[in-house]
Amino acid sequence: MDTATPLEPELKVFEAHREEWSREHLGKFVVIQDETVLKFFDEYADAFRAGLEKFGVRGTFLVKQIWGTEPVYFVA
Amino acid sequence: MPLKVFWDPFSSDDFGPLIKVIVMPPAVEMDAGRLVGLEYPRPVPIKALIDTGSPFTIVNRVVAKNFNLRQTNPHVPLRTLGGPCTGEEYCCSMSFPGSDLPKIEVMGIVAADLKRERYYSCLIGRDVIRNWNIEFDGRSQCVTISA
Repeated sequence: MDTATPLEPELKVFEAHREEWSREHLGKFVVIQDETVLKFFDEYADAFRAGLEKFGVRGTFLVKQIWGTEPVYFVA
Repeated sequence: MPLKVFWDPFSSDDFGPLIKVIVMPPAVEMDAGRLVGLEYPRPVPIKALIDTGSPFTIVNRVVAKNFNLRQTNPHVPLRTLGGPCTGEEYCCSMSFPGSDLPKIEVMGIVAADLKRERYYSCLIGRDVIRNWNIEFDGRSQCVTISA
């Protein structure tokens, strides 16, 4: 059975750079595929469009907002 | 024309104002996908609860799967009244049939298990309603929503 988490390699890249990026790109969205870091964007929608254009419709890519500490959102 | 829905805040069966939404992959993604032979389901409206208590919009995991939404973040930590859990973020478009509310072409949406899925499959959070004007007339129990 395949237990690999989707986008796990990209999350590892993100975590490896989180501290550095949170100093330089706090609140922005980063697009990552494998170890390729595409760019930083102000808006999620722009990040998604850029990822789709770069990696194609069959490609998978991570879009993640940059915070120093991962926020935990309260949903009521 | 503003969208009008009714909500009885004193009814135990009425969890809040419900509207219809259509959640699909963004048009830019479907256009590219169809060029390479990918197929997408036809749009089907689902019920969504206006939820001022949620910072972002949440959809049932089944909906994200059935409508072929693309996952863009596998780990979104959540804290609910039932305890901590983890959602995943997907990319979608969202439109509001039967209303003049403008379609959202590309947005992130969190997928999680919604406990009251019998009544609704989506929570419209503050990321969406921050762009709307919502008024509730308690005497007529009418919620009026406009952009």
